[in-house]
This record gives sequence, structure tokens and C-alpha cells, in this order.
Amino acid sequence: MGWSGWTAPCIVLPMIAVLPLLALVLSASPSSTDPPQARFDQVAKQAEAARAADRMEDAITLYGKGVRLSPSWNDGWWSLGSLLYDQDRFPEAAVAFRHFVANTPKPGPAYAFLGLCEYETKAYEQALQHFQNWSVNGFPGTKDLIDVAVFHWALLLTRKGNFVESLYLLAVEAGKQRGGPALVEAMGLASLRMANLPEDYPPERREMVWLAGQAALATAVSSGEHALADDYVRRLILHYGQEPNVHYFYGTLLNFQQKNAEAQEEFQRELQISPQHAPAIVELARLKLTHDQMAEALVLAKKAAAIDPKNPQTHHMLGRILLTMEEFPESTRELEIARQLAPDVPAIRYHLARAYTAQGRTKEASREVAAYNLLRDKQQVLAPPQEKLGGLRKSEESPK
Amino acid sequence: MTASEAVATIVISAALMLPAVAQSRQARFTQAKVENFQQLSRDANRARDENRRDDAIRLYRQCLTIRPTWDDGLWSLSDLLYQKEDYFEARDLLRRYVSVAPQAGVGWALLGISEFQTREYSRVIDHLQRARNLGFGERKDIAESVVYFSAVTLTRVEQYDNSMDLLFAFVNAGRCDTPVQEAAGLAALRMPLLPAEIPGDRREMIRLAGSGFCAVQMGQHEEAEKQFRKMTQDYTGEPGVHFLYGSFLANVRPDEGIPELRHELEISPFHVQARVRLADIYLKQQDSDQALRLAAEAVKLAPAEASPHMLYGEALVAKRDLASAIEELERAREQAPDLVRVHVDLLRAYSAAGRTDDANREKEAIERLRHPGSEH
Repeated sequence: MGWSGWTAPCIVLPMIAVLPLLALVLSASPSSTDPPQARFDQVAKQAEAARAADRMEDAITLYGKGVRLSPSWNDGWWSLGSLLYDQDRFPEAAVAFRHFVANTPKPGPAYAFLGLCEYETKAYEQALQHFQNWSVNGFPGTKDLIDVAVFHWALLLTRKGNFVESLYLLAVEAGKQRGGPALVEAMGLASLRMANLPEDYPPERREMVWLAGQAALATAVSSGEHALADDYVRRLILHYGQEPNVHYFYGTLLNFQQKNAEAQEEFQRELQISPQHAPAIVELARLKLTHDQMAEALVLAKKAAAIDPKNPQTHHMLGRILLTMEEFPESTRELEIARQLAPDVPAIRYHLARAYTAQGRTKEASREVAAYNLLRDKQQVLAPPQEKLGGLRKSEESPK
Repeated sequence: MTASEAVATIVISAALMLPAVAQSRQARFTQAKVENFQQLSRDANRARDENRRDDAIRLYRQCLTIRPTWDDGLWSLSDLLYQKEDYFEARDLLRRYVSVAPQAGVGWALLGISEFQTREYSRVIDHLQRARNLGFGERKDIAESVVYFSAVTLTRVEQYDNSMDLLFAFVNAGRCDTPVQEAAGLAALRMPLLPAEIPGDRREMIRLAGSGFCAVQMGQHEEAEKQFRKMTQDYTGEPGVHFLYGSFLANVRPDEGIPELRHELEISPFHVQARVRLADIYLKQQDSDQALRLAAEAVKLAPAEASPHMLYGEALVAKRDLASAIEELERAREQAPDLVRVHVDLLRAYSAAGRTDDANREKEAIERLRHPGSEH
């Protein structure tokens, strides 16, 4: 039977005839009985109009309605999240951005907004993860968003104990902003290796944090002029010279100023106050290595690795010293531990490649060279400066 | 009626009736919700009025699940939580409250104070400023707290002069107790700390500074000098003390202020305001060379601050370098458009340079600043 032979049942035709009327009736005024699509379209239009007219509370209500009607409306989740974020309503904004991120192949700046909301709602681990996702996506967003997100990411890195990475990010911000009280405080906490947020450290440590932060900031923005930083450090030492990490911090500043002998004295002072201070011992070992005092360097590096076996820097330093002493199997073992603890640090890969090469383990050496090049080429933002290419000793060449 | 017509009629009727039926069901549901909300809100208000705080909090929470933007409910629940010192939850609710009631000064006030307690200082200043602009309605009791928290937060974010401007109000009202002395002492010594963050070994130094500040403001200059002198004797190596004493002396005996300010520069070689004050004294003594050198150093140290540019401009005027002076004064105006002294300086400089239109514009600006709200 062809289509021309088809006859509609008598009931169908009148129904078709009334459909436009039906549609007209239903669309006359949006109500809970409207077809979902029509209701949604109306609400979306009203939401956008409310936002355009600066009626933010109405817009929030309408976008909320819109996303309930159509949970896959990503523009709606984005707008809702943005409006709530602008009003500091972070718990609600986090929900909206979470929906947006879940439903969007390339969430872009939404990762940063979500991270910021999670920071404000104390969901710190999730916030760290989302800032990481954001960085992998290339830091998308406006300049203001980048500044505020990088700053909060750095705060979370400090809280987690990743002080060097945090300072790296903060120093980049310092170069752009030239300071500000919040940046000073953040730099102070990271400089003094205090695994705290600005909101949660003891009030009696405020002045110490401020002085350290000012010194760190002055160093970050100076171009070879350190008198201002030295002035703050002098005050820091005067009042807080007996506090842990203060002399270590001063030692790192002196290292930065290439005053190695004075830096060494400060690291030793730190050890008088904190005998188990592994980073100070690593720095002393580094200075000994620089001056080819291998036996002393080795003792120090072994001590640091024993005190803090979960710190990749201690194994890295020990591995480097053993490599220089041509103790290749032992060096390899330490560098492999360092790699396991910090797989994305290019300098560890570089030294491991050299250790493998020295032992004729060419295949493994090639793999490390490839990893090194990959990490180096990425210039990943979290790599501390001394672990980037420029920080490698000039005398050392890339492994062949 | 044919069968088709009958069907059509049924369909149309159904189409017309469907919304009616659904709307009726919706209306009944809505009505029940409204009644439930009304009952709950009455119970919540009664519980609050009878001081049954926990019951009131529970009931207001229920009300807000039914009507999340109920402004009175958001306010009452925030207030109850604030009184219980649950500042985190109070803060989140207050943010919702001010988004539905943005003109409620008291809402901004409690929000700012809650944020102070949760240590979100970057938000405190703006929110308390809004509160002061909008007023506090019947809650006059909160006004003093708002000024105090604003002042101590301004000090913590290194806006010392703005902080002192607020603290003057306390002193002028005859209040100079320990909290005010500590707040004033920190601001006067330019220490970016809250009173709760004062180091134990310098609490007395800060109290002496604050007490001297109060005495100056009350016109008790002898008492002020006694306090400041004791401060500089007992804490002679501390940054800020000689600057404070020197600034006081600069107003009463400028010749004696100079050595104190110079002493400050030995202790704090990067002290911008000590240079500015010294430059000011030297200008008044018509020693424009010294003034020019110190002001230029201050500009180099703090290029984003207004007062170094202002003093540098004034020194350049004294040296008759009008073109450079105007540049510096215009920079100062950019950074502090409400500073009358800068406009006065510019008026003189433009007039001397024969720039009558610019001079007239400055004259108008001075009038506006001196008589805000007037036609000029």
C-alpha cells in the first residue's frame, strides 16, 4: 500500500487542526503546566533580561529556575555561578560551577572560579585539584581572575607544605602587583614555612610573618638592590631570631644574593634552633657541593635524607653528591627515590639520566632525557626557579 | 455535531481545562505552603521574642527552606547566629541578606564584623564603609563597633592615616580607654597589626603611643609630650617611635622635630613619611634644597603615594621650576583627589604659570571639597 492509499483515522485530522490552537493556549502565559521547552525558553529570556537590567537578585532566581527546568543548560549554570560569585555567595556558586564543569568539555575559567569557591567554603583539597586542572588548561580567564586564582592557589600550596612552589607563584604575582598587604602576608607564611592560611595562624606570629613577607617581597621585586629586604630581615632577626625557620629564611635570601659564606652561617644558626631542619641541612650540603667539599656534603645529605625521607629534595641532593663522587649505583637509588616522590621535577630527571648514562643504561637514560625535555619544555609553572633550566649549573650541559 | 467536531471540542476543552486543573492543584499546594510558612514564621518570631534562641534558629532555618529569599528571616537568623558567635554561618546568611536587602546598613555592618571575626580583612573595610554610608536604622548600638573594627582593620592593611581619621572620632567623644589607645598606638606607629596581634614585649610602647595620640587630640600637649618622650626613651631603637615624637614636635617646636625625624631615618632608612615630614619642615624654614632632596627620595621610595609627590611639587615650586612642579602636583592629585592641600598647591602653581583656566578649575575643586553638597 502506497502513501496515497493511506487514510487518516477520522479522529486524527481534527486533532491536527486544533494543535496550533492548543499551542496558542499553552503559550499564552507561562505556567507550571506549559510544555517544559516553552517554559524554559521563557525563563531563560527573563533571566537574561533581568541580568541586563542589573536586577541581580531576580536574575539569580530566574537562572535557578532555568537550570532546574533544564539541567543541561550550561550557559545558565555559568551565569548563575558568576552572579552568585559576584555576591560572595560561595556555597551556592560552587554548586553552579560544579554543574558547569561537569557538563562542559572545556570548562576553561570555570575551574578557577570553582577553585575559588571551594577555597572560600574550606573544601581545600578540591580547590587545589581544580586550580591544578585550570593550570593544565593554560590559565584561561581575565587578568583579574588569573591574579586572584593564582594567589589563592599559592595559599593552598603553602597550607600543604609546598612552600617553594607557593613562593614561585607569589613572586610572579609580586612582579605584576608590586605588593599589597595580602601578598605580603602570603609571602611571609611561605617564607617561614608555616603550613597555614592567612585566616588560621596564631595572632602572636603576625608581626613575624609581616616582616618576613616584606623581606621576601622586596627581594622578589628588587633588581639587585637588597637594602630594603635587609632592613626588614634585621628587624625580623632582632625580635624573632629564636623562632624556627627565621635563620633558614635569611639564609635563602643570602643565597639569592650570592653571599654564600653568610648564608652558610645562617643555615648553621637555624640548626642550633631546629637541629632536625632538613631543608637547612640540604642547603648546607648544596653549599659544600658547590665548593667541592664532598665528604662533608655527603654526611649532611645523608643526615637530611634520614631526618626527612619523604622529602624529594633530600634524596635528590644525596643522589647528586653521590653522582659527583661517581658512586653511580647508590646515586641512582637515591635519585630514583627522589623521582618517585617528585616525578615532575626536571632536575631530578636530568641527574638520573646522567647516572644511567654513566652506568651504560642507555635505554633508561634516554627515557629520563625525554622526560626531562618534556618537563623542561613545558616550563611548568610549579617548578621552582632553581629547578628550571636556568637554575641548573651552567657547567652542566644537557645529557646527550 | 459531527464526530470530528465533537472530537475537536473535546480536545479544545481538554486543552483549556488542563491548565485549570493543574493550576488548581498548584494553587492548593502553594496555599498549603504559604500557610505552613506563615505558621512557621510566626513560631520563629515568637521563639526569638521569648529568647528561645535555639528554637528560633531551627524555625527560621525551616522557613528559609520554603522561602530562601525571605529578608526578615535571613536577617533574624543571621542576627541570632551572630549573637551566638557563629560567625561563619552568620556571614554566609548575611551575604544572602544583603543581596536581597542591599540598602540595609545594619546588614552590611554585621557582615563586615563577621568577616572581621573570620579574618577576611580584605572584605571588611568595604562592607563596613557601606554600613557607615547607609546608616544603622534603630541599631545605634552597632555604630561604635563599626567604627572601631573599621579603624583596626585599616591599620592592619597599612592604611594608617585613614585609621587615625576614624579614631579621632572616639577621642573627640571623650573616649580613650585601652582598646582605643592600642588601636591608636598601632596606627600612629604604623604597625600593621590588630590589637590582638600586639607582641607582648611592645604592648607598653604601643599604649604610650596611643595615650600620647589621645592627649594631642584632646589638646593636652604637655601630657602628650610626656608620653611620647617616655616612649622614645624606653624603646629608643624601635622603628616608628622617633617618627611619632618628631611629627608631634614638628607642630609645636619644629627645630626639635628635625633631630627626632633624622633619628628615625637612622633606624628606618626607608621611612617615607619621616622624609615627607622633614621636607615639610624644611620648606617652612625656606630650606628648599633639603626639602627637595628628601621629597625626591620619598617619591623614589613610594611612587604610588600622594604625599611624596605633593611635597616634591611644593619644593619644586620653591625652586621656581614650575613645569616640573605642576607635573608632580598633578600626580599627587591623581592619587589623592580629595586632598585640599594639593588643589591649593596646584591653584598657586597654575596661576604662577599663567594657566588661568586650570587655576579656576582648582579653585572650584577646593570649594567643592571644603563645602560638599553646595552648588560649587
